[in-house]
Amino acid sequence: MISQPALSGARLAVLRSRMDGISRKMSKALTRAGRSGVLNRAKDLSCAILSPECALLSAADSLPIHVLSGPDLMARSMLDAHPELRRGDAFLHNCPYTGCSHAADHTILVPVIDDEGRHRFTVLVKAHQADIGDSAPTTYFAGARDVYEEGALIFPAVQVQRDYRIIDDIVRMCRARIRVPDQWYGDFLAMIGAARCGEQELLDLGAEVGWDVLDAFSQGWLAYGERQMRDRIAGLPALTASGSSRHDPMPGTPADGVEVRATVRIDPGAHRIIVDLTDNIDVLPCGLNVSEACARTGALIGIFNTLGAGVVKNAGSIGRVEILLRDGSCIGGGRHPTSFSVSTTNLADRIVAAVQIAVSEVLPEMALAETGAVNPPHKGVVSGIDPRDGRAFINQLFLGSTGGAASARADAWLTYSHAGNAGMSFVDSIEMVEMHHPLRVLRRELVPDSEGAGEHTGAPALTVELEPIGAEIEIAYVSDGTINRAQGVCGGAAAGAAAQAKRTQAGVVDLPPFGHLRLRPGEALLSVGTGGGGFGDPRRRDPAKVCEDVRDRRISRQRAWLTYGVAIGEDGAIDARATTELRTKGPSE
Amino acid sequence: MRFATDTGGTFTDLVVEGDDGLWRAFKASTVAEDPVRGVLDALRLAAGDYGLTLRDLLQRGDTFIHATTHAINAVLTGTVARTALLTTQGHPDILLLREGGRPDPFDFSTGFPKPYVARRDVWELPGRIDADGSVFAPLDEERVIAILDELAEQRVEAIAVCLLWSIVNPAHELRLGELIEARLPGIPYTLSHQLNPIPREYRRASAASIDASLKPMMGRYLGSLTRRLADAGFGGRVLMVTSQGGVMDAGALAKAPIHVLNSGPSMAPVAGRHFAGAMAGDAIVADTGGTTFDISVVRDGRLPLTRELWVGPPIVGHLTGFPSVDVRSVGAGGGSIGRVDRGGILHVGPQSAGAWPGPACYGRGGTEPTLTDAALVLGYLDPAFFLGGTMPLDVTASERALATIATPLGVDVTAAAAAVVELATETMAQAILQITEEQGIDPERATLVGGGGAAGMNLIFIGRRLGCPRIIVPEAGSTLSAAGALMSDLVTERRATARMSTVDFSPAAANDVLDRLQEECAAFAAAQTGDPAEADFVRTVEARYADQAWEIEVMLPAGRLEGPADVARFRQAFDAEHQRLYGFCDPASAVEIVSWRVGVACRLKNAGARRLAEIPGRLDRPARAITLPNGERHDAPVHRWSDMPVQEIFSGPAVVESFFTSVVIDHAQFHRAADGSLVIDL
Repeated sequence: MISQPALSGARLAVLRSRMDGISRKMSKALTRAGRSGVLNRAKDLSCAILSPECALLSAADSLPIHVLSGPDLMARSMLDAHPELRRGDAFLHNCPYTGCSHAADHTILVPVIDDEGRHRFTVLVKAHQADIGDSAPTTYFAGARDVYEEGALIFPAVQVQRDYRIIDDIVRMCRARIRVPDQWYGDFLAMIGAARCGEQELLDLGAEVGWDVLDAFSQGWLAYGERQMRDRIAGLPALTASGSSRHDPMPGTPADGVEVRATVRIDPGAHRIIVDLTDNIDVLPCGLNVSEACARTGALIGIFNTLGAGVVKNAGSIGRVEILLRDGSCIGGGRHPTSFSVSTTNLADRIVAAVQIAVSEVLPEMALAETGAVNPPHKGVVSGIDPRDGRAFINQLFLGSTGGAASARADAWLTYSHAGNAGMSFVDSIEMVEMHHPLRVLRRELVPDSEGAGEHTGAPALTVELEPIGAEIEIAYVSDGTINRAQGVCGGAAAGAAAQAKRTQAGVVDLPPFGHLRLRPGEALLSVGTGGGGFGDPRRRDPAKVCEDVRDRRISRQRAWLTYGVAIGEDGAIDARATTELRTKGPSE
Repeated sequence: MRFATDTGGTFTDLVVEGDDGLWRAFKASTVAEDPVRGVLDALRLAAGDYGLTLRDLLQRGDTFIHATTHAINAVLTGTVARTALLTTQGHPDILLLREGGRPDPFDFSTGFPKPYVARRDVWELPGRIDADGSVFAPLDEERVIAILDELAEQRVEAIAVCLLWSIVNPAHELRLGELIEARLPGIPYTLSHQLNPIPREYRRASAASIDASLKPMMGRYLGSLTRRLADAGFGGRVLMVTSQGGVMDAGALAKAPIHVLNSGPSMAPVAGRHFAGAMAGDAIVADTGGTTFDISVVRDGRLPLTRELWVGPPIVGHLTGFPSVDVRSVGAGGGSIGRVDRGGILHVGPQSAGAWPGPACYGRGGTEPTLTDAALVLGYLDPAFFLGGTMPLDVTASERALATIATPLGVDVTAAAAAVVELATETMAQAILQITEEQGIDPERATLVGGGGAAGMNLIFIGRRLGCPRIIVPEAGSTLSAAGALMSDLVTERRATARMSTVDFSPAAANDVLDRLQEECAAFAAAQTGDPAEADFVRTVEARYADQAWEIEVMLPAGRLEGPADVARFRQAFDAEHQRLYGFCDPASAVEIVSWRVGVACRLKNAGARRLAEIPGRLDRPARAITLPNGERHDAPVHRWSDMPVQEIFSGPAVVESFFTSVVIDHAQFHRAADGSLVIDL
């Protein structure tokens, strides 16, 4: 094959494709073989390859919040804790104080060691667990005062395999603490299997092309990412802009919630973007704090989202974004024993929003509205005893969240879920949920008139109604967005809010936005997940699209009239003359 | 005489099996607005070649086998019947929400895909069945009738029905069928549990909607096809190729037209299996056309089925969940365009120069460098002898096009061409690895079978990249699908959903399910052929470890399941398969069987020679300079395919050429096998 001292653009492309193929293969194996629904139905997992210097090389097919920052920090902590690595080692990591996103994301790290004993790569398999042994049956414990109350077993790069053999001590500890231990163990085996599969592929690749060539690839590939990013930044104007987004109040937060602020400084001369997250409040006495990995990643997601597809995500491009955090801040500055239980979603999504809003207001051609918040009860952790077989169960539901934000270029991606997930996860099938849990999903549909209105529309909200069958069930949830809806940008409107209620014999009662809900047979949960913000003036929206949405009962004729300035006749067709009048003069009522 | 036609987007391929058992291949242009005309045009060409009139030719035929892209094109372009979806109340957005996933998490330019049936045509029915089959809420027939009357008023042309848990208790769907027939006689409809009895409502709803939406047009198309063939003199049997890799009577297909969606591509592995000589063993079948690269596999001599075949691109296309031959299509053919981005990295595809203007060397205005241009510059194609010399190629145009990427790469034009071939090879290899990984096939123990006109340009390098020990290019490789149709069986299968765990396994209950499926298949076979020995039965289950969500398919032993020993044998087979697919197994965990399947394949006719008749004409070409991707230059002898003595072993570098294709060979040894195939040993 053609080889040169520095690899050619052709060779880099070939090896890049092989690396991405390996990370994809790992995540596919894990999805298929995983035991819990959160893995095998929802695919809440990521796989990555890092250089021995802990630089992110490839994370194809991963969730953004899992990988942009975090794998680098975790690989570093593995090296710190285990300076002597041997082939056959594997480490379990879920420690948010040394680089993991939050305790629920169990991560297997496997060093790839060549025949001479040199550490060549690290492969990483990260998967949100169905349970991690928290003191309450949830993996999103918003009420946890600190890590002690949270109660999860914490593994700061703890060895779980030596010479390819599982160290049973760790397994016994986990089995003694984690709910539904067989389910956890099945997931653990699948994660190790996926990591070993990635390791073997890399060993084969090294043997085939030579380790020196792979070293040259790593350098060339990171340099390429850096070059791409430098070019992209050089084409932007120099400016500074700020944005903010507010999380709803919950126990442990200030009474008006948590405002998350971000300042973005674009410095085209230095080919650098700085995201300043230091102007945020102190650590909270609850599980909403954002870990360092998630704070960094939240800022990066906001930047990469507005830059658009096409920029490679590796340590080279990521290195052009400098992220400023403040010690002691709830946004990436917490220390042990702060609880980061809900670190990957709620406040982290608000970081992404603050960055997107900052960029949108000054660079409208790159604008992207705010994504809807999570986690409504229909995406909560459900547990109980299944009356059909008497077995305990626990698992996160993925009954769907919409929340996609409109951009300057297009309408929203409907099943976006939330900023950290970016639509990568799967949506549960009703039948699969009912097969695996003793519950009945009575309703799942979009809410009319709830989209983020705009020239480009944000996703409508989604409503779900479910009830237990034959036994009590418990649902733990942390639903942001009931008060603070997803904001629109550049004249676009905010989207429909979250809501949660319980229907009993006595009628419908509102539920708090966070809690451990117990539902008895005969009671039903009514849950609404948020929509996403709109982009641009709704009166600039293509009337034909408005008309389609009216015909499809997504929006009412009244909303078409009032918000979009489009007149739709009784026959479902556009009244062109009335529409022109509406759009020039505004509605007369 | 037997005829097999494959109507593609550009060409309609025809392979005729003469009474001497030999094949002749023909190509006519596809006529998009009247595909039957393309078929008749190809038949006219054949008649001319045999020295017969069209009527004489057709009167000698006993079987006409047809594969078509007509249905899939209609689905992709939305030119199907206006179809209503009737579904369970509270769940009108099944087709919109789909199953999630996203091609690129940072792409905010691509809109969300539209549902196959728009919300305005989705109707929610009061009535609910639970997971255990019990009726939670009865079907509100009054409301149903009101809806059906509304559908009549709106002139809906077809109806799909998908209710939650109809696979466990079909009573409500069946009643809807009766009501539709009573209120809307003549309107075609599809019941999801009858078409595709699997859990996951999106897949069932999607399959039922696609099927119903195709019924009016495929009914017309098949009627027109059979009538016009009959008018032209054909009195034999018309069979349609299915996505399952078999054929069925045109009349049966009209009742479930979804079977024809992937009909052409599903035949390539049927042919590939034959030419690989692999009734046992694994093979990879790669069919390279101008714009797409279709891949399928043969596992242990069987064509593995998948439920994850996308109609259109993954995630944004439609998923039917329908078991189909696993054929993946990627945008990487001879027309794939190479470019260098601002960061200095080379890309090849997925953009393609397509059939028009095509590669730069076609001289039709293309200026961007394609894989075909690279192959021409490297000497893999003969500019004066492309398609037997019927289409001269412009080397200078190729060089000019490649110079646009050579400069930013900092290499000469030849090295740039080598880079394009290498990267295209890698893209194709990655596509192959995705399917081999999912189907548990080790490429290092699989035969690589190449088909399609553009295969020979880099098949050898794909084989090297994957470590395949042997490459086979069949003589009829350029019409692999039509050839496959001539050797396919009449197939059907029956499936049932019935959950059963190894913890409390009941052989009696299992035998009840299997016996019922077996009887139905046997009845089908008996109706097709008087001789039961001509039918092969296969029994499989889809199973998983307790709590897993995705099943894997495992073969069951023949005969009745008797006791614990049979269950233990099945369990071991499951563990072994899981180990093979995912690298680990969990013998301590219970295994749950979710669904049962019996398939039957009835052989249509004793095989002919399966050889192409010799084409007269000379093909003496001088040796020519080729450059391998590693930069080595060689003076390569050019062998005429049909002149190569059978079983004589040659050494590369060399080029083997026929009127249809050109195969470049590096240092490997190669020979022509007794069946006419070119065999390359790596």
